[in-house]
Amino acid sequence: MINKDLSIDFLGVHFENPFCLSSSPVGNCYDMCKKAYDEGWAGVVFKTIGPEHFVVDEVSPRFDELAKEATPFVGFKNMEQIAEHSLAENLADLRRLKADYPEKVLIASIMGTNEADWTELARVVTEAGADMIEMNLSCPQMTSHEMGSDVGTNPELCQKYCAAVKKGSDLPMMAKMTPNITDMGPVAKACLAGGADGIAAINTVKSIANIDLDRKVGLPIVNGKSSISGFSGKAVKPIALRFIQQLRTTAGLEQLPISGIGGIETWEDAAEFILLGSSTLQVTTSVMQYGYRIVEDMKNGLMHYMAEQNVEHLSDLVGLANQAIIPAEALDRDYKVYPNIDWDKCIGCGRCFISCYDGAHQALTWDEDTRRPTCNTEKCVGCQLCNLVCPVGAISLGEVVMKPGRTGDVTAVEVHSSRLS
Amino acid sequence: MTKHYDQELDSGYTMTTVMAEAARCLLCHDAPCSKACPAHTDPAKFIRSVRFRNFKGAAETIRENNALGAICARVCPTEKYCQLACARCGIDTPIDIGGIQRFVTDFEQQAKMDILEKGPSNGLKVAIVGSGPSGLQAATTLLQKGYAVDIYEQQAKAGGYLTYGIPEYRLPNDIVDFEINRILNLGATIHYNTTIGQELTLAALKTSHDAVILAIGASQAKMLPMFENNAYTETAVDFLARVKTNQGHVTVPDNVLVIGGGDVAMDVATTLKLLNVPQVTDVVYETFSEFKASKKELEATQQMGVTIIDGYVPDSINDNTVTFKHRKINGQIQVQADKIILAVGQVADAAHLDLTLENNEVPFTGYQTTDPKVFVTGDIAQGDKTVVWAVQKGKEVAETIDAVLGGH
Ligand SMILES: Cc1cc2nc3c(=O)[nH]c(=O)nc-3n(C[C@H](O)[C@H](O)[C@H](O)COP(=O)(O)OP(=O)(O)OC[C@H]3O[C@@H](n4cnc5c(N)ncnc54)[C@H](O)[C@@H]3O)c2cc1C
Ligand SMILES: Cc1cc2nc3c(=O)[nH]c(=O)nc-3n(C[C@H](O)[C@H](O)[C@H](O)COP(=O)(O)O)c2cc1C
Ligand code: SF4
Repeated sequence: MINKDLSIDFLGVHFENPFCLSSSPVGNCYDMCKKAYDEGWAGVVFKTIGPEHFVVDEVSPRFDELAKEATPFVGFKNMEQIAEHSLAENLADLRRLKADYPEKVLIASIMGTNEADWTELARVVTEAGADMIEMNLSCPQMTSHEMGSDVGTNPELCQKYCAAVKKGSDLPMMAKMTPNITDMGPVAKACLAGGADGIAAINTVKSIANIDLDRKVGLPIVNGKSSISGFSGKAVKPIALRFIQQLRTTAGLEQLPISGIGGIETWEDAAEFILLGSSTLQVTTSVMQYGYRIVEDMKNGLMHYMAEQNVEHLSDLVGLANQAIIPAEALDRDYKVYPNIDWDKCIGCGRCFISCYDGAHQALTWDEDTRRPTCNTEKCVGCQLCNLVCPVGAISLGEVVMKPGRTGDVTAVEVHSSRLS
Repeated sequence: MTKHYDQELDSGYTMTTVMAEAARCLLCHDAPCSKACPAHTDPAKFIRSVRFRNFKGAAETIRENNALGAICARVCPTEKYCQLACARCGIDTPIDIGGIQRFVTDFEQQAKMDILEKGPSNGLKVAIVGSGPSGLQAATTLLQKGYAVDIYEQQAKAGGYLTYGIPEYRLPNDIVDFEINRILNLGATIHYNTTIGQELTLAALKTSHDAVILAIGASQAKMLPMFENNAYTETAVDFLARVKTNQGHVTVPDNVLVIGGGDVAMDVATTLKLLNVPQVTDVVYETFSEFKASKKELEATQQMGVTIIDGYVPDSINDNTVTFKHRKINGQIQVQADKIILAVGQVADAAHLDLTLENNEVPFTGYQTTDPKVFVTGDIAQGDKTVVWAVQKGKEVAETIDAVLGGH
């Protein structure tokens, strides 16, 4: 079996691999974290610990799930706030974890309502033995507006609270961002100004996933009512990736240390977050669906990927995809690429024809006798919708042509893509 | 579409279809499929790897547990093992574990992965008599542990029934050759055309090696006395070997009678159909309710248009006409054919190997014989007679030898 060094340093802390549980029920107590460490996770961001005076009072039921066709958990909605265990219990668990797993990374997630809270929480988790602090500035369903994403969308408050945390602890600290904002840059900069050493992104996206059509109430139904709350899982991956890319391309943040979060479940997802600038990775929803064991394939797959890429250190991959993501106005718009239809692979379902007609440019003609499509290059704009909907991979990127009136060397145009083969 | 003898009957999965099949897997806790695999190939783990798009990891799981993973993927009677246990049966149909395994091992081959590694040499040498699946797996496990391995094979090619028995349309020779080469590349030396007991004695092997494994299989056909010296009769394993060696380029008459009702008989009947023999009649000792062949094989054979007559035993033969009597009711039939193929079982031939066999297997459990230097594995060891069991016994005999010789 392949064995490669997956270790990486982040904010001065050594991680045996980049994979951590993100702060949530998956890292809620000693036993859970122990099992996760034993199954191969390098780090745990313990469930967010709040001040003693904030009473956590949760609803039941508290989850919902978005499905598409036969695929469950495309996305996941939760109504949870922060740790339900008492502060004393949480600190005791942190202490025991650090004592039993000195080589693993223990990150304390904290959330206060005012500067004094933040300073005090930072102090007590440091005392308990945490290696790092994560500030939860981003939970979108707190019952107090002094907490969570209402704070995380306000740069001044963020800066003030970061400074408060730094007052209570010397530990490396990351601030966890909310995606419920147009531009994360100003908040991230404010956090850094307040003393944060890095950024964790993203927390959940505000959502309503489903409505019960008979009762006319959103799901989950809590005694006849429901609320807007955080969405996570695979469906939020594209949103997380865009925020991370944007942070990394904000002037002054090009080297920003990032812990990437949002919809990670395979080694491919993990590699994508790394290529856009994440050094460590955090996971919740896919662990809730499948268990801690998913880390095995994420680690093994990432090792194979490093071997394929001839990379010895994971850090050599961090941010490699940032430079090729540029503003839309800067893209090459001089050419188009036609679909190449393999009639031997084609099974004659006609999906490409329907999608091209109803959703693109009516460029495919359908032969009813042979049940095969043909591309009319006069009409084809090269959008490749047909390619994406083909269920058997019979359509691939074909001939590249320059648009009328444009000049350029078609052979120099790079159109490769692992999805659109 | 008409199929040919030299084309694999089952077409494999594509990337899209394998993901759809893997998505049906329930990713069970304590997975029953993995517990049911005799060779511990760990289907639950490799299916999970596929589900999470870690195809290389899936290949590692299969290969490290089963040196003949691509072969088992094709010929294992999964309906008796992993797929019988599959929890998905509680919903609809089991996961096509064999099909997923085949996709992964094909991927492994295309990606040119080299997963198995030879262990550092421990200076000890083991001789293996027979290069069927059990001998090959034993060789692999021993090489991984640092032993030097010499394989002695009486035939011109390695593989035993993989090469000379199971037909091309179920198990293409290039797959078998690829798997065997992988093991030879790992460092096994093979001596072809060498029958132990004739060209070389067992005593000589015992002198030159620290241990000897007899992995001779049940590699002879069983004969029924009345068919001896009958000019129209050929045994099933001889016929299958002849067809496979010639890649289907053999001439067969238009009307062939097959006698036997096991999987080997089904292989013969299907092979004849794929060679375009118009009239194939299979007369079977068992009645359908007692059938030995797997349901899958029986159905495939029937679909090919083979006439199957159940419940009859051969009573007499006159030239090319065989008279059968029903086993339970009063009745007899006569079948005249241009060729008769006898598929009534295989026997082990341990002549000159100082080995006592009862019903073609050793009369003791485990692998070490009364001669402490001599071990057995495969079909002649006690237990199921399938490739996957041959693989498992191969691993176990290697472990036993390692425990006895303490080679590390
Ligand atoms: C037609 C047919 C179809 C089958 N289909 C299936 C199937 O679909 N699935 C399944 O799981 N199983 C199947 N089986 C059973 C399976 O092939 C056997 O269980 C398996 O091959 C046993 O492995 P082995 O290593 O013990 O012996 P074998 O495969 O029999 O190999 C023994 C080897 O030892 C060699 N040998 C014997 N004596 C000597 C000697 N004195 N010196 C040197 N070499 C010697 C032989 O030449 C042979 O190469 C089938 C069997 C047959 C005959
Ligand atoms: C049930 C649930 C509870 C969560 N609780 C917290 C929390 O206490 N603190 C926090 O910072 N994030 C919390 N999150 C957010 C996750 O840590 C993570 O940022 C988000 O779910 C996106 O990652 P994912 O797609 O891997 O789940 C929670 C998420 C879920 C699903
Ligand atoms: S028993 Fe079936 S459903 Fe369960 S893990 Fe194995 S293949 Fe999947």
